[in-house]
Amino acid sequence: MQLNKKKVAGLLSAATCTLLGSPVQAEENDWDVDSAVLFYAESDGRVSAFEPVISATKDLGDDETLSLKLVIDSLTGASANGAVPSTQVQTFTRPSGNGSYTVDPNETPLDDTFKDTRVAYSMNWEKPIDRNNRRNLGFNISKEYDFTSLGVNALWQHDTNKRNTTYSYGISAELDDIAPVGKVPEPLTSMSAQNKGASSDSRNIVDLLFGVTQVIDKSSLFQVNLSLSEADGYMTDPYKFISVVDNTSGEPTDILFEGRPDSRSRQSLYAKYKKMLANKDIFTASYRFMTDDWGIDSNTFDFTYRFMFNSGYYLQPHLRLYDQSEADFYNYFLLTGENPTYASADYRLGEMEATTVGVKFGRELDDQHSWSVRLEQYLQSGDASPSEAFGQLTQQDLYPGLEATIVQFNYSFKW
Amino acid sequence: MKTGFQWVILCAILGASGCSSLGVKPWERNLLAREDMLMEADAIDLAFDEHIYFSKEASSGGQGFAGGGCGCN
Amino acid sequence: MASPCEVLIECKTKPTANKLIRLAQREAARIERKFSRYRDDNIVYRINEGGNGITVDAETARLLDFAQHCYELSEGWFDITSGILRRAWNFSDRDSIPTQQQIDKLLPQIGWDKVSWENPRLSVPLGMEIDFGGIGKEYAVDSVLKLLQSQSEHSLMVNFGGDCNASGPMIDGSAWMTGIENPHRPGDASAVIRLKNGALATSGDVFRFIQHDGIRYGHILDPRTGWPNTDSPLSVTVAAATCTEAGILSTLAMLQGMEAEQFLDQQEIKYWCYR
Repeated sequence: MQLNKKKVAGLLSAATCTLLGSPVQAEENDWDVDSAVLFYAESDGRVSAFEPVISATKDLGDDETLSLKLVIDSLTGASANGAVPSTQVQTFTRPSGNGSYTVDPNETPLDDTFKDTRVAYSMNWEKPIDRNNRRNLGFNISKEYDFTSLGVNALWQHDTNKRNTTYSYGISAELDDIAPVGKVPEPLTSMSAQNKGASSDSRNIVDLLFGVTQVIDKSSLFQVNLSLSEADGYMTDPYKFISVVDNTSGEPTDILFEGRPDSRSRQSLYAKYKKMLANKDIFTASYRFMTDDWGIDSNTFDFTYRFMFNSGYYLQPHLRLYDQSEADFYNYFLLTGENPTYASADYRLGEMEATTVGVKFGRELDDQHSWSVRLEQYLQSGDASPSEAFGQLTQQDLYPGLEATIVQFNYSFKW
Repeated sequence: MKTGFQWVILCAILGASGCSSLGVKPWERNLLAREDMLMEADAIDLAFDEHIYFSKEASSGGQGFAGGGCGCN
Repeated sequence: MASPCEVLIECKTKPTANKLIRLAQREAARIERKFSRYRDDNIVYRINEGGNGITVDAETARLLDFAQHCYELSEGWFDITSGILRRAWNFSDRDSIPTQQQIDKLLPQIGWDKVSWENPRLSVPLGMEIDFGGIGKEYAVDSVLKLLQSQSEHSLMVNFGGDCNASGPMIDGSAWMTGIENPHRPGDASAVIRLKNGALATSGDVFRFIQHDGIRYGHILDPRTGWPNTDSPLSVTVAAATCTEAGILSTLAMLQGMEAEQFLDQQEIKYWCYR
């Protein structure tokens, strides 16, 4: 009872080839896709936005990845144009120079011509150089009807200390082209003169980044980034105004186009701490200090705490606290006879505080899918009755403030 | 405020250089390797926030490159 | 897979390793789901319930073709219809053996030659069953390795309960060190095999046997007689290009009893045989 002495092994190996030679049936997870839509709505019917985004990362093998991202950003609504309220009806020329809109007495002047769609596309390619070094090259382009932005960036990451410390060195360059509706206004000239120059202007921005990420222990890590940013060129908002008021009554006598310096240097320090607790909850805290040569200093604190539930659900409250000081050339208004080099009443350059309170709820379905929904409330406020106010201005809301609701849905899947 | 900033940078550099005693062994990375423990976790949320606050406040960037400016500021 | 399964990956980052491990785990689970005989929702169940025969998918067809090849080249020593012998042999009850009468009742329902297999249609006579247990685990090892290789250039080692397959040497050129358990001293590696690529599979009845009247009856049964070879080695480990080949060769060697080493020598393969 013995198997014939022929070479079973040879025949077997041919048969195995047939068995395993053809492709094995298995799902291939070539792309990690993150998709989301964001709804942003300011109270009192001001700006609202709808923003879908899709981002896909392909694993090219050996830790090499390629990421592509597409964002569409559709905005409508009115935003504060910088002018102060008046006891009289105010009339503003539309940016195109054709037509006008009026603002009722004692109302914050809002520009209601705001309607724009932005399409932004970016790609990123990460590749290991060797065991301890990686490089990441990125490209991005963003287009809206009056604005085009082109950027490139490069990041080098170096692991050391048994991969417990990672140093990052990055540089990015961005070129923006601004082609305002109705051409570029001459800064600090009267709106009524409609003194406009070139059809477009540009600016360039160079950012440098140095970062250290440190593993502290089995469940926590810490990151510190130092960023330097140099912007040169057209930095003014062509659609914003600043009021010139009568030195005793405080009533507007003229409306000027705003004017900002043509360069800005910023430095920021960013620190982030992340810790997983014993029950897999995750606590994240970050702080950013920013300062620039426009005289703005800002502090941003951001905290999240992710409660993990056994069912795969998580709930993540979020708190963000922000404050900034005003730019040196920020003024609520100009006095008659005042003739500054730069002046802006853009609320975004004024002294302000902002609070965001949010919550995110989501679920990891399995390796393949996850979803989440995020709800946030953003509240921005400044000094609406500054000590500079006099005459009728003491009766007005000089810093309109902002209240916005953000709803976001995320869905991630493998494809 | 400028001197304050430089002081913070100095602390950061001192902090970074004193880190060689911290860290874990390769086999102790099971928690740190989780996707939700990456510093860049929730990248889409971070990008949305960056975009919103860039267009409503005077500060931007910090964690990385903002990428893809917009005409809103 | 009813045994510890591991995948060793030598790569630069943990996320990559995690990704590959998840992929491996999914593929192994897929194969187990699809070919386990302990389920009532898979192709094996449908085949065995099938009556007039069923049309099978391409992967199952390849496995059936392979089983047919093995049946032919082993002259019936390997037969995927022999699983019903477990109705007579109960290896969890360690001291009683079936009667020849019990075995004789089952033998007419064993034999791949009684099955009608015309790719893609398979028809199994009533009362007969097919069972991929003899090749399933080894096939899973090879499939998982192949899938991971298609996703990565990393050096990999897939090990499902001692049946393993490696994709290549480690980054520094050294081999994967694999221990073969000494059947006389469980838990102790009696030989360390340096595996750069290729597979190992072990057949043995170190833990599954019946001791009856001083005779040791192993769990590897001869499909033609319904009995194990009582002169089998304790374990046979075979090295081959794939885990599937190594598994079949080690099983056939076990059935050769006293002639196991002679059979293995004739195959001109590397093997480790313990008696």
